[in-house]
This record gives sequence, C-alpha cells and structure tokens, in this order.
Amino acid sequence: MQSANMLLKKIVKSSVLPFAAQHGMKKDFFLLTRTLSLSPCLKQDNSCNPTEKLDLDAWKKVMKSGLQEEVSEMVSEHKELSTLTAAREILEMWRLAGRLVPESISEEQLKTFMECPSKSAKKKYLKYLHLKELHKKNEIRKMEEKRERRLKTQEQGSKPNETKRNSFMCLWANGMDRAYSWRVAQSMVFGQPLVFDMSYEKDMSIREVANTVRQIVFSEGCNRKSADPFHIHFCNLKDDSLYHREFIRHYSKAWDKLLVTVTEQCYTEIFPKEKLIYLTADSPKVMKTFDHDKIYIIGSMVDKSIKTGVSLARAKRLGLETAALPLEKYLLWNTGAKNLTLDQMMHILLTLKDTGDWKKALEFVPKRKYCGFVSKPVHELKKTLNLINTLKLGKRQEEVGKQFAKNYSKKLTQK
Amino acid sequence: MALFSQTSQLFFQALLRKCRMFWPVSRCQQLFAGFVNFSNREKVNYFHVMTSFSTALPVDSKGTGVFPTKKRSEIDYEEEKGWNENREIPEGKLYFSSSVGAPKKRLSQVLSRHRFTNVQPPEKPLQAAEWNRLKESFQSPEIFEEVMLNSMIRCNSPIDVAKSLLTHVAKSDGDIAYHLLIKYLALCVQQGQTSEIHDVYDIMKTRFKVLESGAYSLLIKGLSNSDQWRMALTLLEEVKQLMIPSRGSYESCIKAASRHQEMNLAFQLYCEMLAEDLVPTLDVLQGFFDFSRGMKGAELQNQLFGILLYLRENQIYPHKTFIWSIKLWFESIPGGNWRGHLTNIKDSGQCPVCNHQLEDSNLTEEEYKCLRERIIKDVIHGTDTFRKTSPQEFEAFQTFVENRLPFDIVIDGLNVSHIKPRKMQCENLFEAVNCLAKGNARLLVLGRKHMLSNSPNWKREVMKEMQNKADFFFAENISEDDTFLLYATLRSGKHCKFVTRDFLRDHKACLSDSVTRHLFRKWQRGHQIVISSSGEGKRLKFLPALRYDCVVQTTGDTWHIPYKDTFDEKYSYEVPRKWLCIQQK
Repeated sequence: MQSANMLLKKIVKSSVLPFAAQHGMKKDFFLLTRTLSLSPCLKQDNSCNPTEKLDLDAWKKVMKSGLQEEVSEMVSEHKELSTLTAAREILEMWRLAGRLVPESISEEQLKTFMECPSKSAKKKYLKYLHLKELHKKNEIRKMEEKRERRLKTQEQGSKPNETKRNSFMCLWANGMDRAYSWRVAQSMVFGQPLVFDMSYEKDMSIREVANTVRQIVFSEGCNRKSADPFHIHFCNLKDDSLYHREFIRHYSKAWDKLLVTVTEQCYTEIFPKEKLIYLTADSPKVMKTFDHDKIYIIGSMVDKSIKTGVSLARAKRLGLETAALPLEKYLLWNTGAKNLTLDQMMHILLTLKDTGDWKKALEFVPKRKYCGFVSKPVHELKKTLNLINTLKLGKRQEEVGKQFAKNYSKKLTQK
Repeated sequence: MALFSQTSQLFFQALLRKCRMFWPVSRCQQLFAGFVNFSNREKVNYFHVMTSFSTALPVDSKGTGVFPTKKRSEIDYEEEKGWNENREIPEGKLYFSSSVGAPKKRLSQVLSRHRFTNVQPPEKPLQAAEWNRLKESFQSPEIFEEVMLNSMIRCNSPIDVAKSLLTHVAKSDGDIAYHLLIKYLALCVQQGQTSEIHDVYDIMKTRFKVLESGAYSLLIKGLSNSDQWRMALTLLEEVKQLMIPSRGSYESCIKAASRHQEMNLAFQLYCEMLAEDLVPTLDVLQGFFDFSRGMKGAELQNQLFGILLYLRENQIYPHKTFIWSIKLWFESIPGGNWRGHLTNIKDSGQCPVCNHQLEDSNLTEEEYKCLRERIIKDVIHGTDTFRKTSPQEFEAFQTFVENRLPFDIVIDGLNVSHIKPRKMQCENLFEAVNCLAKGNARLLVLGRKHMLSNSPNWKREVMKEMQNKADFFFAENISEDDTFLLYATLRSGKHCKFVTRDFLRDHKACLSDSVTRHLFRKWQRGHQIVISSSGEGKRLKFLPALRYDCVVQTTGDTWHIPYKDTFDEKYSYEVPRKWLCIQQK
C-alpha cells in the first residue's frame, strides 16, 4: 500500500508537471491550481469583514476628474463632422467596445464600408478587415523574429570562410526556375491543353474574383513544378476585365512572360468540340479514367454561396460533354460541398495524368471532407462505417449497430 | 482525451481507490484531474471532477450574449410530418421571449469565453488588495476584469460588487475602458438600476464624443423601463443622427410610450419603424392591443385595424397569447358590442360560429397573369435558361401545353412515384393516375426521359397503360421538371390543381420580391393537392387544396383571424387551422 502511495507521489512529482508543460496542458493544470488558490481567498473574505468602508462610487469621481481638460478640447472642436469622420468615430467606439474592427482603415475601405447595404454586411466586412490586419501584424512579427534570429546566428557563426569545393554554383532557385520554364515551354508545344474558362465574372462578387485569381495563381505554380505540365489556356479572358486586373496585380511584370496561352476566344473556337470535356460537380456523368487525348475545361469560379448548375448550364449551352470527379465512388464523403478549389483540381488532374491512380489523386481533396477511401462497394463496408460512426458519434457499438441497421436496411434490400 | 489509455486509467483508479485510506478523496481526485485535459472533460466519464471552488454553474451555451438567454417555451419540435397538420401541443406555461428569440450573439473578443464559465464572482464588494490577489491568480490577467464582469452579468451579482471592481480598476489605472463600462451598464439594465444608468450615461457622454450602437441600445432599453422613459426617446433621436436604430430600440420606446398611454406617440414611432423597413416584432404589435384595451377613439381603432391589415398583407399569423390580446381588445371597445370566439373552420370554408363564408383562395385574372410571367422570368429562366432547362425544351413544352389545354390536374410524376418505397415506382404512379382520372379529369403527368427506358422500376407496359389515361411530357434527365409543373398549372387557369408532395420552397425563393412570393404561397395553398400514403397496401389519400384563403380577413362587422398554437415560426407552407372569429352584434 505504502509503495503504491509512494509510486503515486513519484508519478505526480516527476512526470505530470513536465509532461503537462510539454503538451500545452499547462493551462489546464494551472486552472486547477487557480481554482484551488482562489477558494481560500474567498473564504478569507467571508471570515474577515473589511474594517474600512469601501467607497463604491470612487470610480465615478476618478472618471469625472480626468475630464476637465478633455471637455475644453471638445468645445473647441467643430460640431459639424463629415460623414466619413463620423463613420471613423463610430468604428473607433466599436473597437473600444470590443467588437472585431480594424485599428486603421483607409479612405477607400471606409467608403466600401459605408456602401455596404445592410448592418450584417457591414459587420462582415469589418470582421474581414480585422482578420486581415491580424494576419499582417503576425507576419510582420514573424519576419522580425526571423531577422533577429538570423543576426544572432551570424554573430555566433562568423567563422573564417572556408572555400567550399563544389561543382555547382549557388544559384539553385534560379536554375530550378529555368529548368521548370523549359519544361513548361515544352508543354506549350507538345503538352496536353487544360482550359480555364474565364466567363464567370458576372456571377461573382469582387472578393470572389480575387479569390479565384489567387487559386489560379496557385494552380499555375504547381503546374509549373510538375514533371509533365499541362499547356494552360485562359480562355474568354477579356482585356481590362476584373480577372485581368487581378492577374496583373498578382504577377505584375511576369504576366507577359508567363508560359500560358491567354486568349479572348472561346475554347470552342480553338479546339474541336468533341474533344472538350467540361469538369463540373453538377454533371450527371462521372469520370472513370483520365483521357490523355481530351481537353479538360475548369470553370474559374469561386462560389461561396453555392450556385448550383451555373457551369453545367454553360456546358449545356455550348453542347459539350461534361464530367464530375468520382468523389462518391472512391471516398466516404463526410461533409462539405463537392466543389473543390481550382488548385486542388489542378493537383488532382496532374496526379491522374502522371499515375492514373485515383487513390493518389484524391489525396488532394481536403481531409475534413471525407472519412476514408473506399475500395469495395458500400454494403461490404458495414464494419468500417460502424467504426467510423463510433468514432464520430462517440457512441457504443451496439447502439450504432442498431442505427446502422435502420439506415442501411433499405439500401441493402435494394442492392 | 485522457492522457492514458483506458487500461492504465483503470489501473490507476484501482490504485487510487486503494489509497483512499491515506489521502482524502477530494485530493486524489484533484490530483487525478491534473492528468485529464479539461477542455474535453465531457468525454471522460470515468469520474466527475469537482473542485471545491467551481460550483457547477449552468454553462450558457450562447456564452457571448449580454443578457442571459431567455427560455423558449418548451415545445418538442416534431419532424415536418406533413401539411398543415393540426398539431396539438400540451398547453403548458407558454413563456414567450421578446423580440423573437434570444438576443443576437455579440461579436466578442477572439478568446473563447466559455473557458471561463467557472469563474464565480464574489458575493460581497472586495477591497483593492483582494481584487489584486484574485487577478494575479487568474490565468490570463489581461482580461480578468472583462471575464469577471461577464460572469457577474451571468450570475446577476449585486451591483455593489461590480462597483467595487470598477473602483479598483479606476484607482489602479486612472481610467476605465469603454468595454468595461458597457458591461457594467448591461448589469445595471438587467437589474433596472435607473440612477446608475444615468450616472454611467453622464460619464460616457463627457468622456467620449460619440457612443456606439451597443451602448445606445442598452441605455434605451434601461431607461424605457424606468419612469424617465422620455429620456429614452431623446436618446433614440440621438441615434437617428448616426444610424438607423435597431428594432429592439424602437420596440423599447414604443412599449414605454404605450405603457404610459401615449398611443399617438407609440404609433408615430411604429410608422417610423415601418418606413425604415424594420420588421416589428409580434411583441410590439401585441403591446398595442394590450395597452389600448378599453380606450376610446375612432382614430386609435383605425390604427389597430391597420395593424391587423399589416398581418394580412404579410401573411403573418399571430400566436395564442397575441390572439387573446386581440380578442380582449375587441370586446373591450366601449359600445362596440364585439364578441370573439376561438374556432376551427370547416373544409368548406364556412365559419361554424357566424356561418360566414371565408374568402376563396382564387387569384384574380390580373394576379394569375402576373404570377405566370414571374414564374417564367424568375423561376424557369432565371439568370440562365440552361440551368433548369434549355430554350428548345421550354419551347417544345409550351407548344405541347397550348395544344392540349386545359388540364384539370397536373401531376409531378417522379415525386408521386416515390410514395410507397416498397413498391415499384411505376405502380405508385399508376395507382395515383387511376385515382385521379376517375372524374373524367384531364390529367397531365410530368416526368423525365429515363422513365421511358424500360428499367425494373419503369415497366414499359405500365407506362403504355398510363399514357391512355393521361397526357405525358418527358423532360430531359438533367432538367428541372417542377418548373414545368408550375407553368402548366398556371397556364390552365384557376380550376387547375397540381399534385406533388414537394413544398416548392426553392422555387418560391427564386421569386425576387415579397409581393410575388406571397402571391405564390396563396396560389399554392389553394391549388396544391398533397398525396399521403398511409402505410403499405392502403389506398392513397388525397389532401385536397384549401378552398378558402388563410389570411386575416374582415367584412367590416366581422373579423376572422387565423392563429397558431405556438410562438415559434411555422414553416411558410404550413397554414394554421385555428381561427378567431369576431362579430359585431
């Protein structure tokens, strides 16, 4: 017994604290200690009555005393305020009240804020600005930390330069760039075309267009780095459209040197119709294999409010073949919409092109959206589903079994 | 997640159990609590961790609301069982929260406050030193005051405690941050401390150039419940300079005005509110009826009739307590001789109390035309005709309908075919068509092309058989057949009904303005036949379309007002079956 006691003490002394500290349990551990330390304090209050009488309204005096000079300032101020400054003041007050409001706001943003049609739109916009500001601040902080670290290491490691014998000059990044560019240039001549359809500008808000362009920039980047790149076409891209302006903002000078084909023409004018396949999540047809002779089209659209059937409608209008990724077939879908981002699509298509392996390709679907890969038809997966449900719902096996039986009996009888 | 696997946990527990003779129980539990991550406490069911300090407080799941969320009436929600079913609910004590539901979530600090729900505010005012001690022992001192004030609001602590905290803050920092003042104000409003509210307002006014919406709405709410409610009105004027006041603020002011029998003022505010496109809560409307009970004046009476017509126009159904307010007001009109009865209306649309025939649910020719055009424009074509159909297909459908007009019943073939899941789809449809074709009615069945493919679910012989009894139109497999259903029914005229179990919510949502949406609902109520299958092998049951229109209606000396049993919003396609009949003797 005593030994057990000792053991316990030992464990507690030796392992818990460092362990807790390591694993970020510190908070919880100290929460406990806090509550413990509070309780005697409270008990004390009850036990010893404070002898001196508390002046409860002292705070009002303090608040009012510091006001004299401010009042004089106030009087000198002009009463008439322009709407912009009034808006600024309100934002400032909201910030003081603890709402999610950016600390500094530019004139342009302020105008956008004033033009928001509803209260909730205003709130959302402010929250967006606030988060953006936070990200920026964090980035700056990290950069500074990095610089400090670098300076430190330089001070420590300022050894006499050893002449390194190396047959390569230190121009890796540059060299890599050049190698990638060669590959993409080759694909521009011999590669399989991949079309981004840029005709959805009118269906999107300004922010959605910005997001779309960002995703395309990502896609273009990963295409450039792949072993066998696509020949990317931006079709229906009008000059001086929102898309175009966003592209210029992202690529600046590099836009004109980009190894992609940019055209105002529609893909139906460039390629034969029977070769085109429009990829859309709403398509009734499911893609079975990746076809190296076909030209796939991706609609450049971010639809936060999921607009079903927009790209399918476009394909119907032009009389093109459509296809959807076989997400249902290979993944146990969990949650979320089946429309993927453009860079995810790009990754998936590149992987399919290189390997033809669906399992590998669909790794790029966000993990939160599915529970696992399916190698057999669903009714053979009873056990797995049970397990998943158990994990997900935290229920006991039998209960889930009953539920499962209820839910799937229909399906089983049909199959 | 506990840090240990189950087995080792059990082992540990066993150890602990054996050690009880050496250690007091509570202590070993606490020790153990050190191993268990608190954030997921609910997943560890092995033992309950209770420290001597954390008295279990009800954790407010909304956490961020300034006021404790009020309880909604405890009514079990049933699944959408069907169409305008008369759901009997045990009439418990219905307690309605004001302004439809709990206060909105406030945007709070990024910190997750529910972590601090176990902070118990002290019972008595503390000295500065004691506050300091508490603050130092708190895990994140920088937000200590905020968390403390929040928990005071939650526990409704006496304001002296809050004052002592503010005094401590003022003495140590020489200033009190705005958000702390707001929280203190919320506490005062919660307890109706009028003089304190005034003091805080004065301090805020002198300290800050402008206040923000949150403070104003708190002040208005607080003052409108006091005898200085006129001050709330001046504040409301102040808010108008800056922004559109919230409907909550208007509500407080209107209630205050009507409570003090200033009906004209209340109505003036009410009109202002409507002009700002704010939707008044049923609470406000009910207040009007409550406070004008027994008052004279033709003007006032017309105003209240105006409110009833507002309900009519927006197809709002009052709830039970509201209907009582209306009834009592009518009966209290001096010299009015009104009598009210709660009743159920027969299917024929006749009121059993006064034998009055309710308005029928037919639209005028004008309305028909308007609705038809809007359906074509908004629902079928929308932004892109190809989304739901294709121009050729719609063209073909239109000529098809024109050549075979008029139909009596239009059936959504695919929807009806799923009625009995155990049966073949074509048999379900066949049964429905047979039932409906009895009275020599001209039927149109809408389907999709895959129904012609002779699959196990769609036998060719049965399809042939059916096509002798009804006209069929098959849309493309990726087209929306519902929209055709709407068009064909509307085109056939007012006698034509349609059959589907769909609630058509998505189509209603495509209509761009509320007037047309209301028109659509009215038409749907009067023209939709719903099939319900009651079990296997039994006959299909048709719930006929309503013959009368379910809105507030008057003939001058009678009023008929539909109402719902519960406070909660019904689905827009459900209509209440209970009515208040008011007649003038």
